[in-house]
Amino acid sequence: MAYSDKVVDHYEHPRNVGSLPKDDPNVGTGLVGAPECGDVMRLQMKINPQTQVIEEAKFKTFGCGSAIASSSLATEWVKGKTVEEALAISNTDIVRELSLPPVKIHCSVLAEDAIKAAIEDWKKKKEADQPEATATASN
Amino acid sequence: MGEVRRPFFLPGGGAPLPNHEEFPSRLFDLAGQDHPIMSAPSTTAATSITCGNCSAATGGAHFCPACGKIQPLPPGTDYFAFFGLQRKLALDLPELERRFHSLSWRLHPDNFMRASELERQLSLDRSSQLNDAYRTLRDPVARVEYMLGLAGMRKEGQKKQQAPPELLEEVFELNESLDRLREARESGENAAETAGLRGKLEAAQQKFESSLADADQELTQVSAQWDRALDSGTDDATKKKLMERMNSILNRRSYIRNLVESTQKVLAGT
Repeated sequence: MAYSDKVVDHYEHPRNVGSLPKDDPNVGTGLVGAPECGDVMRLQMKINPQTQVIEEAKFKTFGCGSAIASSSLATEWVKGKTVEEALAISNTDIVRELSLPPVKIHCSVLAEDAIKAAIEDWKKKKEADQPEATATASN
Repeated sequence: MGEVRRPFFLPGGGAPLPNHEEFPSRLFDLAGQDHPIMSAPSTTAATSITCGNCSAATGGAHFCPACGKIQPLPPGTDYFAFFGLQRKLALDLPELERRFHSLSWRLHPDNFMRASELERQLSLDRSSQLNDAYRTLRDPVARVEYMLGLAGMRKEGQKKQQAPPELLEEVFELNESLDRLREARESGENAAETAGLRGKLEAAQQKFESSLADADQELTQVSAQWDRALDSGTDDATKKKLMERMNSILNRRSYIRNLVESTQKVLAGT
């Protein structure tokens, strides 16, 4: 099965490969994996605590071309968006943009999960920064 | 045959399935068998299947018990039913092999050279399913995977199917080391770093190989629990839990297996 041009482009010229300082309180890290194929994807974003805007996004993915393209696209899309807007990105958007075949849909799911996991991580860090907020949050 | 039958061991050095004595061979009577599994495809229809040639009830058998003609595969026949076996995870492998040989001989297309076109086609269909079924069931890991698939537990791309989080960090780091080793090798510089990375990877390799063996052993144990649960008519909630456990072992296993394979590949190239 041939990859779409967009997948090939992201695979050959991945955007935003790299890492952000994991311990920075404004950086959220999402590490997710796909059990079927053993892919692993790390997506990090630096979020402005005042404006909630994602100012920087980096990824590193070990996996197939579609997994790399999905995460590369995800970093492009989240940059400049607010946390709220980024959470609205769905895997079907990625599937459509990259014309992923059905057998590669799980790669897009992985990218969506990575966005959500990174934001989740950032939110947790913020809560830990404000002990009183954590105390009121029911666990 | 005359060949020596080797016991089948789990890949990765796990123990053989501990079943041979406690699992007596069963007769090939599909109609009388129940398939004790939750949300199994319905096999109740098997009792109402009749022979296209003489209209006798066949019970889904390979050949009509009345006129002996080869029969079409009833829809929803699973690999266990194909061999007339219960959906148990501890299979008597020598028995499975006997049934495989006997069936491949009886279903072989050569036997149907002068038969009708329909019968020739049925012989091809059944022979090809026989091979798939045998290949799947003789491998203990593929067998568990297949059984869970029948129960609807292994849907690809489903969000429920999460990778083991405790492994992700390690998987990621190992992949990074692999990458660095590849780069160091390509640049041909820094022999000391290459050697250091190599040592690190070899240690990781050993560790992951032993985790793979652990996963296989755990799978064997849970498989045995599953079979006992079927025998004792355990409630569905408990069975579901066992299936979930097997599912997560399989997920962890596929991760580790990939790691072992890619580490081997990189190490072999240095």
